Amino acid sequence: MLEAIDLVKCYGPVRALDEFSLSVAAGEIVGLVGHNGAGKTTFVEIVSYLTRPDGGHVTIDGKPPSAVKGRVGVAPQHIALYPSVSVREHLELFGKLAGLRGQALTTAIDDIVAALRLSDFIDRHAAVLSGGQQRRTQAATALIHRPALLLLDEPTAGADLETRQAMLDVVKQRAGEGAAVVYTTHYLPELTELQATIAVVRDGRVIARGTHEELVDGLPGEVQLTFDNEEEITVSTTHPANTLIDLLSRADRPISTVDVRNPSLDDLYRSLAVSNAP
Amino acid sequence: MLLDTPHTQHRVEPPPPAGLLDNLRGAAYRVGALAKHNTLIRLRDPGQMISYVAMPMVLMLVLKPLYVRAVEGGATQVATGLMVMFSVFAISIAGNAILVERTWRTWDRLRASRAPATELLLGKTIPIFVVMVVQQSILLVYGCLVIGLPIPRAPQYVVFAIAIWAFALLSIGAALATIVRSHGELSVISDVGALTLSSLGGALVPLSIMPEWAQVAAHISPGYWALTMMQAAVRGDAAGTLAPAGVLLAIGLVAGTFAVRRLTRGWGRGHLL
Repeated sequence: MLEAIDLVKCYGPVRALDEFSLSVAAGEIVGLVGHNGAGKTTFVEIVSYLTRPDGGHVTIDGKPPSAVKGRVGVAPQHIALYPSVSVREHLELFGKLAGLRGQALTTAIDDIVAALRLSDFIDRHAAVLSGGQQRRTQAATALIHRPALLLLDEPTAGADLETRQAMLDVVKQRAGEGAAVVYTTHYLPELTELQATIAVVRDGRVIARGTHEELVDGLPGEVQLTFDNEEEITVSTTHPANTLIDLLSRADRPISTVDVRNPSLDDLYRSLAVSNAP
Repeated sequence: MLLDTPHTQHRVEPPPPAGLLDNLRGAAYRVGALAKHNTLIRLRDPGQMISYVAMPMVLMLVLKPLYVRAVEGGATQVATGLMVMFSVFAISIAGNAILVERTWRTWDRLRASRAPATELLLGKTIPIFVVMVVQQSILLVYGCLVIGLPIPRAPQYVVFAIAIWAFALLSIGAALATIVRSHGELSVISDVGALTLSSLGGALVPLSIMPEWAQVAAHISPGYWALTMMQAAVRGDAAGTLAPAGVLLAIGLVAGTFAVRRLTRGWGRGHLL
C-alpha cells in the first residue's frame, strides 16, 4: 500500500530525512517510534503531500501522493481544529471534502461518532472541548471517509485513558478492515496493544524494523530480588528464568519479593540509541 | 533487522474514473462546503465587519456639513471617500481570515484533503468577497439615503466597480496574510497602510485641495484609483470607470497570484506563529 524509498528532506542545514525507507502493507499497523526530531513528522508530511521530498520517492498503491490525496486520512501531531466550529460541523466539512454526501455522509458521521465516543459533545464548539475530546475530534475528521491509508501522528499525545482506548480500538478496527496505518507515538505499550510492527527512526532513517518479539529478542531483561533486610540485587540478563533460579538457589537470606522484567521496547530503544550513537 | 511483513493484502479500490462533468460537480460541492464553513466562521465573529460599517456611517454623518461647505460635490466626496477608506480597512478581514488558518494550523489539514489548492482558495475567499461587497453596498446605499449621494444613473457600473474593488482588496489582504508573522503585524500594516494609502488617494481630503506633490503621489495609491472609479461609476461615466478598474484589476491579479503561490505551498515550519 505505502512504499517509501530513500526519502531525503532537508530544512536548511538540517537533514530531516536521510534515505528514509519504509513499506506498509494493507491491513498492517506500523508504529513509527523515535526521538523528537527523528524525522517521523516530516515523513508523514511527505506522504500526505504537504511537503515535497528533496530526493527518493513515495508511492501509495503504486501512485504518487498527489494522485491519491483523498484516500489518505491524516491526523497531525498538533491539534488543528476551528475553535468556533462544532464537532458535527467539523465532521460535515471533512466528510464533504472527502466526497461524502447525503445518506453516506450521515452514516459516516454516525459511525465515527459512535466509534470515538463523541456523542456527548458533538454540538459543542472545539474551543470548549477538553484536550482529549479535541484529540478524538481531530482523529474523527481523519477517519470519517474510511481512508485506505491512515497517518496518525502521535494521536494520543496528552490524551486521557478513555481517549487512548477509543483511539486504539478504532485503529485496530480500521486495520482489520484493510487500511494501512502509520502510527507515530512515544507510548510504546500502545504498539504492543495494536499488535503493530515497529519501525525505529533515528536521524532521519529507519534503523530497525520488525515485530515486537523480533526486535526485543536477545535484549537483556532484569531480575530483581529484595531481601527482608531491604537489600536489593538487580541482575541484567538475556535469560531471566535461568538467572532467577540461579539466584534463588544461592540466596542465603530470607527474600521478600522477586521481580522479573522481560525486555521491553523501551530497552530496545535505549539499546539502539546507544549502538547507533554517532 | 529490516523485515518483510507478511500481511493479507486488502486492496481498497479507488473510486471509478469520473468524467469532466462529474469532476466539476465534485469541485463545486467541495467549494460549496468550504464556503459554507467559512461563512459560518465569519458570522460567528462579526465584530470587524460591524465596526467597518458602523464607523464610516457615523463619520459620514458628522463630516458631511464640513465637506459640503469645503468642496463642490461634498456629499459625494464624503460618502465615496469614507466608503473607500473603510473598505481598505476591511483588508484586515481578508488577512485575518487567512492568517487564522495558520494560527489554528488548519490550512495544512485542508491541503491534505481531496480539494486542490484552487478549491481551497475559492472556498476561503468567496465569503470574504461577499463580506466586502456587502460592506461597500451598505455604505453606498446609506450614502444615497442619508448623506445625499446622488442616486447612480447606471447602477451596473457601481456593481462592477464594487466587484473590482473588492477583488483588489481581497487579493491584497490575502497576499499580506501570507507574509506577516503575526496578527499584530497584520493589524499594524493594514491599519497604517489603509489610513496612509486611502488618505493619499484623496479618500479623506479631496485631492483638489491637497499639496501638488500629494496629487502626483496619489497615483501610487490603490485608494486613488478606487475613489476615481467609484465617483465615475456613481456619475454613470463608463470610460471613467473602466480605466481605473483596469489598474485595480492588475493590482488584484498581481497580489492574488502572489497569495495563491504562497498559500499553495503552505507556510512551512520556519514561519509558524
